[in-house]
Parts: sequence; C-alpha cells; structure tokens
Amino acid sequence: MAAAEVDPRLLEVLVCPLTRGPLEYDREKGELLSRAAALAYPIRDGVPIMLPEEARTMENGE
Amino acid sequence: MTPPLLFDRTLHRKRLDRAAPRYAGFLKARAAEDAAWRLSAILRSFPLAVDLGSRDGAFGAALRAVEGADRVGTLIEADLSPAMLRGRPGLRVVADEERLPFRDESLDLVVSLLSLHWTNDLVGALVQIRRTLKPDGLFIGAFLGGATLAELRQSLLEAEEEVTGGAGPRVSPFADALDAAGLLQRAGFALPVSDIDRVTVRYDHPLKLMADLRAMGETNVLLDRSRRPLSRRVLSRAFEIYRERFADKDGRLPASFEIVSATGWAPHPDQQKPLRPGSAKASLAEALGAVERPLPRE
Repeated sequence: MAAAEVDPRLLEVLVCPLTRGPLEYDREKGELLSRAAALAYPIRDGVPIMLPEEARTMENGE
Repeated sequence: MTPPLLFDRTLHRKRLDRAAPRYAGFLKARAAEDAAWRLSAILRSFPLAVDLGSRDGAFGAALRAVEGADRVGTLIEADLSPAMLRGRPGLRVVADEERLPFRDESLDLVVSLLSLHWTNDLVGALVQIRRTLKPDGLFIGAFLGGATLAELRQSLLEAEEEVTGGAGPRVSPFADALDAAGLLQRAGFALPVSDIDRVTVRYDHPLKLMADLRAMGETNVLLDRSRRPLSRRVLSRAFEIYRERFADKDGRLPASFEIVSATGWAPHPDQQKPLRPGSAKASLAEALGAVERPLPRE
C-alpha cells in the first residue's frame, strides 16, 4: 500500500472518532489502529481517513 | 435524546467528491477572506489550527494574504471528502464534522466555513468543536442563513404545486433568522459574537445557478427529499416564475445568499464575564445619590 508518512504533528492530535481513544500508527500497513473500536483507519497518500465507514474491522488477536 | 436525522451524510460526501475537480468556490472564498480578516485583528498566536470542511483550501489561501498570518502556526485541513483534499500540500485529514477525530483540548483555533449546515445536530457539532479547543481557544464559523436561495426555493415550490398539485422540499431548510451567537452560547462558547453578510449573485439563467450549486457540492441531501426527480415541466415553470418575479431590469436573475459569521471562545477563567448576582460592592442608591426607603406596607 502506498501510504506516505503521516506528519507527526497530525498524529499527536488524532483520536478515534468513535471512542475518542488513542490510535496506534502502523507504518507498514499504513493504518491508524483503534484497539477499543477494533477498527483500522486507512491512510491514503499521507491523508488519514478518519471515517468509521471506511475503516477495516480488525481481526481477533491482531 | 437523539435529534431526528435530516441529512444523508454519505450522499453529501459523494456530492462533494463529485464537485471537487471543478469546485465553485466563490462563496467559500468570500467567507474565507472575512474569517482571515477577523483573525488578523486578534493579536494572539494560534500554534495549532484546524480548518474544518476546508474544501478547496480557501481559508489557508486567504490567511496567507493577510497581515499577521504567521500568528497561525500549523494549519490542518480537514474535509469529509477525500477528493477535496487531493493533491494539496500540507497537513490533511478526512474527518466528519459529526464525529471529530481530534483530541480534547488540543487545538488553539478551529475555523469552519459554510460546511456545518449539513450536520444533523449543529449544536452537537459545535459542542464537539469546543471540546477539541484548548481553554481560551477560538472558533470562527460561517453558516448559511435563512434568506439563502429564497428566490429559487419559492419558484420551485410554486411550480411544483402548480404542475403536480403537491410539493416536496427541494432546497435544504436553512435555520430561519439563524441566531448564530445564541447557537454558540448553547454549545458552551464564551463571548459569542455574530453578524450577517448578504451576497447577491446574478445569473443569466437559473440553470447556471443550479450548476454552481452542484459544483459546490451543495445540492439537496435531505433524507426526506422528494425522490421523484424534478420533471422538465416543473423545472421550466419554476424558471418562468423565477424570471417573472425576480428578474432585474436587464433581465438578470438575482440569487440571494446569506452568510452568518460567528466567533466564540472556549471558556477560560481569565475571560471577562458578568459578575454573580449579589456580588456588588457598592449600592446603586449610593451611586445615584438617592435615599433608599423601605416600601410602604399594605
């Protein structure tokens, strides 16, 4: 996946829009993970897509 | 209590995506210039700012053109539509105004120009914005007021009534005589101020107005919008009514837009505020030099 790096200033203020909890940055997959919501928000061309309807549901144990 | 859903947000996003490549940004640009000008008069720095519903980036552009632009440090552009953000430099994030992805008390400034009128719960969206602001953080908003597109609305309604014997809403209901300062107050903002900018755009033909609305991504996304597309007969009758009733002497058709601007601050203990009742240290009678007498008993 061609996900350009996300600016650290952006990462610092982003939270999960559903749980308002913290996000983990998965550089390799180009995703922002919300463990509480079990959702992985995609990053496209360096732009995080913070919409639950666009997020991938995380598998158990992921 | 959950307020009733008015707008189809997914459809709204699709409309914005479609409008993005040839976005008609004249209203947005006007609101952006106004907001940048307001900001330039506030002698404070805003290290981290979000432009919510940034569309074509008009606010950032307007900001760069005013004095004091350097007081805004980092500007994050957020929009519901990925297509609107495509290909621009700078910090960008796709976000829904109804579910903000920003940490509480993390921002110094939030600007939202002409995008919040499609939220299902405007006060709720404003509350979320206030929460993301640091204490004494600033919000600058612009909304479309009730007189917006009055001519088009009236013409369509009458034409549809006349031709089909019934009419459904074809234009989004903007809050009538929107009291923006009151809305901000309800959402917990301090020191709210609002004012109105009326804009009239003139068109040769109503179709050009409708093309502009489409190119702003501003066409009807009401959930209970009429599902029957407007028939050619209704449309041509509406255009006749528009012309008969509203045309200028030179035959051009005016379209009214009302931009209601509002600013408010996230509360902070050091802000000016009214004193508590009963906390006065001097009596009014003393100040007026009057003698206070008890009321006579019945």
